[in-house]
Amino acid sequence: MGATATEARSTEPQVGRRRFLGWLSGVGIAGSAILGSVATFFFIRPRTTYGQPNRFKIGRPEEFPPGSRIALDPKRVCIVREGNKVAAISTTCTHLGCIVAPSATGFQCPCHGSRFDVDGNVTGGPAPKALAWYAVTLTPSGELEVDKDNEIQTGSYLSV
Amino acid sequence: MSKEQTSVGKSLVELPANVTRSIFRNPLPASDRGRAATSFTNFFLHIQPVRVSRQALRPSYTMGLGLISFFLFGILTVTGVLLMFYYVPSTTQAYERMLDLRSSVAFGVILRNMHRWSAHGMVACVFLHMCRVFFTGSYKPPREFNWVIGVCLFGLTLLSSFTGYLLPWDQLAFWAITVGTSIAGYAPFVGKAIKFILLGDATVGQEALLRFYVLHVVVLPLVLTIFVAVHFWRIRKDGGLAKPESEVAPKRIPVHVEIQDEPAPALSTASVAVATPVRRFTIQGLVRGPLVKVGKLEEDTVFSWPNLLVAELFVLLLTIAGVLLVSFFFNAPLEQPVNVMHPPNPAKAPWYFLGLQEQVSYSAFWGGIGVPGIEVLLLLLLPYIDRGKEGVGRWFARQRILANSIFLLFVLVNIYLIVIGTFFRGANWQFVSPF
Repeated sequence: MGATATEARSTEPQVGRRRFLGWLSGVGIAGSAILGSVATFFFIRPRTTYGQPNRFKIGRPEEFPPGSRIALDPKRVCIVREGNKVAAISTTCTHLGCIVAPSATGFQCPCHGSRFDVDGNVTGGPAPKALAWYAVTLTPSGELEVDKDNEIQTGSYLSV
Repeated sequence: MSKEQTSVGKSLVELPANVTRSIFRNPLPASDRGRAATSFTNFFLHIQPVRVSRQALRPSYTMGLGLISFFLFGILTVTGVLLMFYYVPSTTQAYERMLDLRSSVAFGVILRNMHRWSAHGMVACVFLHMCRVFFTGSYKPPREFNWVIGVCLFGLTLLSSFTGYLLPWDQLAFWAITVGTSIAGYAPFVGKAIKFILLGDATVGQEALLRFYVLHVVVLPLVLTIFVAVHFWRIRKDGGLAKPESEVAPKRIPVHVEIQDEPAPALSTASVAVATPVRRFTIQGLVRGPLVKVGKLEEDTVFSWPNLLVAELFVLLLTIAGVLLVSFFFNAPLEQPVNVMHPPNPAKAPWYFLGLQEQVSYSAFWGGIGVPGIEVLLLLLLPYIDRGKEGVGRWFARQRILANSIFLLFVLVNIYLIVIGTFFRGANWQFVSPF
């Protein structure tokens, strides 16, 4: 209580109330800043995206003849058909997101020279991992549907 | 009645002079006192000291690089605001607006050229300014934190340039941003979230264009301006530009001291280490570095008016002339409109990021995040690591040979990587010879 006695002798009145207001303002403003930052973070993180949907139909199985490797660049997948088995391999380079192009030996990235074999495994360049395989399903209407949110193991085909 | 009329008439006669005097508090100075007062009472001049050291005015010491960077930022602001009158941040319209600048907007081409070349120039000048500050040891106490602010300004300059790169929505823009934001995605833990927030979507598209636009025209310039203000303010409070030790050491701060009966307030003991309880220091006691007072002139200083002002205006003239000259002869590049399906081969980032891209071609994480992260961290911590007090205020001081050599190596390696990435990389990032 020694401190209080010193303050009481001070020429400046109402130190207790001023200190309380100072404390209140400090905590209040700091709290507002923190809450505001968190709210801003949630605000700028979109809940809805306006780009392409990650699940889309690509057509009937007959459109992909056996032995074909057809790259659907706008969808960023390559549809591979071997016999009666179908798979969808990502054409987004795992390195830095460029679109890889089908080549004689598999896939090749134009940006930093990554190379992949026909199954999307890395055979050269800076790519850190294999190209993703996406789940392909047959819808009741008889069309193939690719789900890019559903990554499956390399080499898993859908029989049609 | 007649008395009143004369006073009204007199007011009218004196009106121009009175208006002038109310705007300009001092007539054009003819005496030393006037020169001091002019710097002191004019809003636009009071950012400068009344007197400035001869060394700071020597072109061979600073090369005016910081000032050129600032003027380029000014040119970028003016041309950028003008370009905003015609630009639309939409994937369907942005590229058309670029073409319109060429075909149907008066002075559209020269404005865009000025904006583009000033941006490149600013990146280069800010970097060279950083080199100047390093090689002259100007980050030593009390200027440590101003170096940190400077490093932040360099980062903000790069970010401003990078966000502006996307806006024309041509092939170059699209793929440079695709590569650049993928590098951000490699950051541990938060990388994916940062990339998603930056792009506002899974891939570069309309959302990304809008976000980069807002960052480019509002957020980054605002933050940059605040940092520039603090940067300049600290230069003044640290006693101007760094000077060699011999000039700084012997001068003591002139301090008004008055004997007090009461104990000193807590503030003075906290702020001034030399204060004893019985002394109270005036505000001058808080100023660090040599304090120049009229009537006690230092021999190695000159009045800012007109010496510093003329030097600054001349640098401004050179900057404007340089930008205009380059913009007159070279057009800012504009490639084909975005084709999401066909990346150009090779897809290259802007030149100042090609060193980074070259590193990235070896390892995405280490080249894009690991090594640059360590470099930035070292730059930020530099003034707290290198605590030697010698060799300040001189180029390539012998006492700083180790620090200068390391920094020179850092600079040369980065320039080497940029040259390799720019001239020696062809399709599929294969090594090619430009000759």
